[in-house]
Amino acid sequence: MATIGRAIVRVPKRLKKGQIFKLQMVIIHPMETGLRKDPKTGKKIPAHYITHVDFYLNDKLVTKINTSAGVSKNPYFAIKMKAVESGTLKIVYEDNKGGKWEKTVNLVVEG
Amino acid sequence: MKTRRDFFKLAGVAAAGIMLGVAPVISPAHAKISLEEALKKHLGVGLSAIKESNQIKIKAPSIAESGANVPIQVSATVPIEKVEALYIFVDKNPNPFIASVMFSPVNGEVFFATRIKMGATSPVRAILKLKDGSYLMAYKEVKVTVGGCG
Repeated sequence: MATIGRAIVRVPKRLKKGQIFKLQMVIIHPMETGLRKDPKTGKKIPAHYITHVDFYLNDKLVTKINTSAGVSKNPYFAIKMKAVESGTLKIVYEDNKGGKWEKTVNLVVEG
Repeated sequence: MKTRRDFFKLAGVAAAGIMLGVAPVISPAHAKISLEEALKKHLGVGLSAIKESNQIKIKAPSIAESGANVPIQVSATVPIEKVEALYIFVDKNPNPFIASVMFSPVNGEVFFATRIKMGATSPVRAILKLKDGSYLMAYKEVKVTVGGCG
């Protein structure tokens, strides 16, 4: 069982300046709605879900995703980005129980 | 109650109490939120204020294999500079709000893909909030045989 909060991010290895590329990511997270009952105890499993994902390119906030527990378990997200400049893409994400994580990806832009 | 005045005083206090929510109210543990309530909460407007637009495309299965994991993809031809945010709602979910994405010109294109939970057959709505304050929308009905919310 992978650790909650771990993320896998996929971006193209080499980018040409001005190219629009797809960024994909998966976060390991139960995304509990708070409506499900534990089959053994009959008690409701508390809500536990990612609330937002922020994308920073060279420390500038470029995209912000807000989510509810309506997103599936081990949330998958894909957005598009323009290869403006080489640099560091920092993804910061949090859940409703105070969990906070960061994932950094290098973008190599040629041209 | 000695006088009619006392009665009215008491009635006034009771009425004030009820308005403040002091009076006992039986509310369901997980009240279902309507689409209209969710729209008002997140957008500040109701469905009637939002125009349908063929500039927004939703890719989603017509029949979901599993209500716990419905892949959706939203794209739009509206220039990214004109867009403030994208909102995803599922009408019939206990909480219709699924996600919102705040874009910047660095995104290049309006595009968002994710996997969502659906409790029952329902429209999936993609609503764009433009920088001029207007809203555009597209929706696709997805049939769900086994619900994925609870």
